[in-house]
Amino acid sequence: MAKNLDMLEQTKLDKITSDLLRHIRMNKSFVLWLSFLGLALVVCIYAYTIQLKEGLSVTGLRDYVSWGMYIGNFIFFVATSLVGMLISAVLGLSGQKWAAPLARIAEFIALAFAAVAGLVIVMDMGRPERLLNVMLFARIQSPIVWDITVVITYVAISALLLYLPLIPDIKMCADKLTNIHPLLRKLYRILALNWKGTPEQAKLLKKSTRILAIMIIPVALAIHTVTSWLFASTTRVGWDSSIFGPYFVTGAFVSGAAAVIIAMFFYRTNFKLKDYITELHFDKMGKLLVLLSLVYLYFNLNEFMVPGYKMKKFDAIHLRELFTGAHALLFWSVQIFGLILPILLLFFKKMRKPAPILIIAIFVILGAWFKRYLIVVPTLEHPFLPIQNVPLNFKFYAPTLVETMITIAPIILVLIIITILSKLFPIVPIQETIEHLEESKK
Amino acid sequence: MLRKYIHSKTTLAFLFTALVCLQSFAQDWDIPANKKSKNSYFPFTKETIEDGEGLFLKNCQSCHGNLGKDNSLKSLKPTPPDLAGAKTQERTDGDLFYIITTGRLIMPSFKTIIAEEDRWDLVSYIRSLNKKYIQVLSKNDPSKSKLVVVKMSFDSLSYKLRVDVKANEKEGVIALKDAEVFLFAERYFGRLQIDSTHHTNNDGVAFFSFPKDLPGDKNGNINLVVTVGDEVYGEIEAAKSLKIGVPTDKPSLTEKRAIWNTVTKAPIWLMLTYTLILLGVGAFLLYIVFSLMKIKKLGKE
Amino acid sequence: MSEQNEQPKKKSRRDFIQQIGILGVGSAIAGSAVWAGINYDKKKKAGDRIKVLTAENELLEIDKNDTTKIKKSKYDNLTLLQKEGRVGIPGKRWVMVVDLSKCKNARKCMSACQHAHHLRPEQHHINVLKMQESKNTPPFYMAKPCQHCDNPPCVAVCPVDATYKRPDGIVLIDNERCIGCRFCIAACPYSARVFHWTTPLNEEEDKDKVYNVELNVPQRKGTVSKCLFSADRLREGKMPYCVSACPNGVYYFGDENEDAVTNGTTKETVRFQKLLADNAGYRLMPELGTNPRVYYLPPKNKSYPFQEGDKSEAEEHLDNNNG
Repeated sequence: MAKNLDMLEQTKLDKITSDLLRHIRMNKSFVLWLSFLGLALVVCIYAYTIQLKEGLSVTGLRDYVSWGMYIGNFIFFVATSLVGMLISAVLGLSGQKWAAPLARIAEFIALAFAAVAGLVIVMDMGRPERLLNVMLFARIQSPIVWDITVVITYVAISALLLYLPLIPDIKMCADKLTNIHPLLRKLYRILALNWKGTPEQAKLLKKSTRILAIMIIPVALAIHTVTSWLFASTTRVGWDSSIFGPYFVTGAFVSGAAAVIIAMFFYRTNFKLKDYITELHFDKMGKLLVLLSLVYLYFNLNEFMVPGYKMKKFDAIHLRELFTGAHALLFWSVQIFGLILPILLLFFKKMRKPAPILIIAIFVILGAWFKRYLIVVPTLEHPFLPIQNVPLNFKFYAPTLVETMITIAPIILVLIIITILSKLFPIVPIQETIEHLEESKK
Repeated sequence: MLRKYIHSKTTLAFLFTALVCLQSFAQDWDIPANKKSKNSYFPFTKETIEDGEGLFLKNCQSCHGNLGKDNSLKSLKPTPPDLAGAKTQERTDGDLFYIITTGRLIMPSFKTIIAEEDRWDLVSYIRSLNKKYIQVLSKNDPSKSKLVVVKMSFDSLSYKLRVDVKANEKEGVIALKDAEVFLFAERYFGRLQIDSTHHTNNDGVAFFSFPKDLPGDKNGNINLVVTVGDEVYGEIEAAKSLKIGVPTDKPSLTEKRAIWNTVTKAPIWLMLTYTLILLGVGAFLLYIVFSLMKIKKLGKE
Repeated sequence: MSEQNEQPKKKSRRDFIQQIGILGVGSAIAGSAVWAGINYDKKKKAGDRIKVLTAENELLEIDKNDTTKIKKSKYDNLTLLQKEGRVGIPGKRWVMVVDLSKCKNARKCMSACQHAHHLRPEQHHINVLKMQESKNTPPFYMAKPCQHCDNPPCVAVCPVDATYKRPDGIVLIDNERCIGCRFCIAACPYSARVFHWTTPLNEEEDKDKVYNVELNVPQRKGTVSKCLFSADRLREGKMPYCVSACPNGVYYFGDENEDAVTNGTTKETVRFQKLLADNAGYRLMPELGTNPRVYYLPPKNKSYPFQEGDKSEAEEHLDNNNG
């Protein structure tokens, strides 16, 4: 291969390599950012120790609304992690070449969110020290057991799907990076698995990656479908819905795509990757977000229109509470600013430029978080039988400060994981970028 | 209470019912003369008072409150009186015994719940704070009840249970005429009365029609109890187990496989699906790990 | 015998006593003690002194002849209680009938229940609700315990088999195993479950008690609690705490297999099927297919009027329905 390349080509490749490896180093802003996150995390962990000591009474949860922000947060995490499957598997397998530089960002997000999702659920438990009971006495009839099984599987596959395409790049890290700690170099060496890029190795790697990419699709669908079944398996109003699986999955793609757009923007500006994550990528992601949002809107329509047409006794209470009642402000904000307006705006090309789309994506992801809150809380505030003979705070859920801090903790943790990962491994796949460059020349 | 009704927007009908209720409250107990003069055949002692107190706390205290404390449940209508009060104490022992036995309005009947002797214990307890009270003993001889023999036999053709009540007196066997006879089937928490109360005929025999659908144990056995109340012989109780019930051997409620059952009784399809998916995914993951090891090995060469 | 020889023997003997302690479970204790006694005698003919560990954790050496075997109360034996609590009472299918026409909102059931199960005032295993189904139908008082469904949605979702249905129909919760995920609370359509958000009421007093799953005492922080049909009382042949405490004859309790229920107030026993047939008995939310074991008799000819002051609360739920 190298024989055909002239000097110019060689320098171009060198530039790509050095560009894409540049961000792998310790710098001041990184240390500052990480220590800020670390400090915030410590504060939040302190909040969790209060909960451990005092019990869940430190939250706004009570006997009727017994699931709240924690569970909403959990669905949000699982949802956002789904994007890894979408971008690296679905787009990759269907030959959407433009998405290749974004695959690793998506996989970072997927791995970080999925791995932390497990922690989020532990934070909601009244008896976290009995976590092992779920293994010891597992009832395979319980959606929680399915969820735990499938989350673990998804984390494993996501990690592998991140790792396998990284192997050639890790080799490059080990060889080309100067100025790194010897221990880190050793780590790269171990992780590089004696990679030499021989055709046999390449073939094996390609085949394995392909298997993983195919396998992650059903597992990712399962992870969020099962999460939706945590709700749909009950008879409660607002949860007892047969479209909850696809409703959750499409919603998940929307929040995941928004997360990728946000990450793209920050990596592009902070890591000086403007030549690799281009405006074209934002434009394409914008279009993808519109498509996903439209599908999600369609499921929203089904979810609210069908019971809203009939207004069965308890459905009516629930819908009225969302449309005109106590949750109306949040509900319409989420639907308009998190879904309808983004769709309308993203139809315009101008809005798909990096800066505007970043703002839109932030709205979408905030909307996605609050949508999860709206899925969990209002249903529980309206059980079939009246809430009586209990203090007033049993009837209306209001999250506490401690609860909010504990909710923020996993978000900080995700940021830490993503930050560290992007300081260890190239954020844009080097090997693939080079290969694509060669292919496009042929 | 009444004023509240008038002020509220309740209808005339409501008022009417309230008045009818008040009227019926005003009515006193209608106690037959022969019951009024009935007396205990054993003297009230410390022991009977103690026994009575236990029964009182279990059965009466929740409404009537404690004796002499005037803490009866005032929200009930008619209000249950404090039983140490003058109105109660003016009654005869027979009155009290009758009231406990039959009940009226919201006062339950304890006829089938508390045995005769225990009901007299209750009377003795109710009298215990009354210093002026002097007991009048019944002239009946309590030991006479031991002479009575109760026989039960079942006729499967007519589905009737025949109860024979005879007393083995020195002068020969005497049939108890016009004695009150109750038939009960024993259930887990109490006795279920079968048919209605009957009186023995001139031969000392009473017939009870027995339901065809009463569940027995798995062989159809039912523990039956007959109690006989006679003016002369007092109260007699006899028990017998007869195979006249519907054999009942229902399976346990957790026998079938179900989503809600324990993991060992999970539906087969679920167990299979879960296991197969786990094995399938596990196999793929193993293959990937194996491939990675192979890549490493290839690199060494 | 020299001192050195004596030493290991003493040790093995102590171990042996400990083994008996572990083996001696409930009724088995007598048998194993005899067996141990025989073995013990084989080991050492003139068994004179033994070491015993007192409840206060003191190790005493006493003459063997001075010891008396005491029958351990079954309430000190966790293994037995847990096993019994899963098996239930064979051959039974418990049912409750709640006669709404007799309820006078006296709430003796609620207080008796809270007292028995050491619950806080806001924690209800049984709750008397002020109900009104629609604008023109009258309000009524409705006692609502756990419905002990035959198709229990709460048990279905439990990930660890902490809440379970017994062969005799009772749905129990084992708070030694509960992880506090509260999925059961979310799944129960009758809002019958409570959670210990904070320290249970009598935690200090109860801390040395052995956990009885049929009473769910001691209660534990971070676990779910619920109505147990007073499984501990049923074992003794007594009716549930709430049923016995009612002054108004609202509750009947009994065994469906015997076709008999007994009124908790009047103690009168009646045919279960006939009671339902004569009074148009029904179950709550039959459309959900949960198959409750609690039946209701309609509030017809109520013996106590619905109180004026309670009407607004009953209507609260109604207002939401009719907009």
